[in-house]
Amino acid sequence: MKIVIVGAGKVGYYLAKRLYRGKHTVSIVEKDKQTCEDIAKELEVLVINGDGCDPAILEEAGVKHADVIAAVTGEDEDNIIVCQLSKELFHTRRTVGRVNNPDNERVFAELGIDVPVDATMIIGKIIEEEVSFSDFVNLMSFKRGKLAIVRVDLSADSPVIHKKIKDIELPKDAALVSIVRGEEVILPKGNTVLEAGDDIIAMAMVGNEAQLINMLVGKM
Amino acid sequence: MYVIIIGCSRVGSELAKLLSHEGHDVVVIDKNQASLDRLGNSFNGVSLVGNGFDVNLLKQAGIEKADAFCVVTNGDNTNLIAAQVAKKIFKVPKVIARVYDPQRAHIYKALGLDILSGTVLFASMLRDKIVESRFTSYLIETKDLGVIEIEAQKDLVGKTVEQVNVSGEFIVVAIRSLSGVLIPDPKTLVKEKDILMGVVKVASLDKIKEKFGIA
Repeated sequence: MKIVIVGAGKVGYYLAKRLYRGKHTVSIVEKDKQTCEDIAKELEVLVINGDGCDPAILEEAGVKHADVIAAVTGEDEDNIIVCQLSKELFHTRRTVGRVNNPDNERVFAELGIDVPVDATMIIGKIIEEEVSFSDFVNLMSFKRGKLAIVRVDLSADSPVIHKKIKDIELPKDAALVSIVRGEEVILPKGNTVLEAGDDIIAMAMVGNEAQLINMLVGKM
Repeated sequence: MYVIIIGCSRVGSELAKLLSHEGHDVVVIDKNQASLDRLGNSFNGVSLVGNGFDVNLLKQAGIEKADAFCVVTNGDNTNLIAAQVAKKIFKVPKVIARVYDPQRAHIYKALGLDILSGTVLFASMLRDKIVESRFTSYLIETKDLGVIEIEAQKDLVGKTVEQVNVSGEFIVVAIRSLSGVLIPDPKTLVKEKDILMGVVKVASLDKIKEKFGIA
């Protein structure tokens, strides 16, 4: 695949490095000249020194033939405009924009950015999970927050312990995705028996989350 | 009218004061409190500190009942995004954005935003002041039509306005002289030191300049 990355800060740099190793064709647009020179020395990718909000610079970076553009600068304004220009002028199939301020997530989605990636929110959630002792963590939301993946730790007093999955009545629009038991990852089948200490990864429509947790934990 | 202005720059604060003075309801938003201080004590609208495309802040500013939304921060991208938020999310009836970069202004105008970009206009006015001695042009935003000023010298003095006009290309609409401004009739005579203001098709500009010996 051909991928154009705008912004070569920490995120852009590591993204470029990973994609480049993965045999994708990568080009980078970056405003800072020194950063450009450093990257050009290290990676064999096309590096363009300039403003990604300038259509001529985007064209030079090969957006016309790119499958994806990823705008990952530290400025939400720039990321949105880069994605919009790329889509409108060069008909890029997929635009990925880094959301720096979680408050702006809705704006990204409403203004037509195909995939807004809210790094702050994701990191916040991971840290929240690490510091909290609760039995339940929301791991990720999809489809603009309508669908969520949650993790539920089954304690010894959970009502579903020693039960087979087919005997548990899950709420509508919820599904168990996997069970993490010690080092083992189990794909849940009808006959799988749940045990205390299992970590359950489940998917649910956002409205049904509470019901699901109620079912698995027996409180809340 | 209920008007929201984003960016309390010189232009933003002037506009806010102007509208507020005329009795309109005005809310001004700027990132910096210091810029909002430009509004002074006599301003009786509302001012808020924050990001001009923050959906929650805009709601707080009353965007759902706003008749007009105007973004004039110094950041083109901020302006383009705030304008789209006002138009697409909140469906404000009138949305106007300033964009300095002529290229981006052009692209987003094509996408249906109402954009004012003074850059080309101002640069060409300055250019005329520097390069031309008898001639000034003001491009009208469409770029197809311009207003030019020509200082009358011997070649024009004594002619009627009718004789000076070029059918389909240039027409004199006003004459400035020491005694004031007048809207001429076709038979009005051009006098020495008169400044003729006329509307010209930009495509005919060179031809007109040549005709009056100011190329």
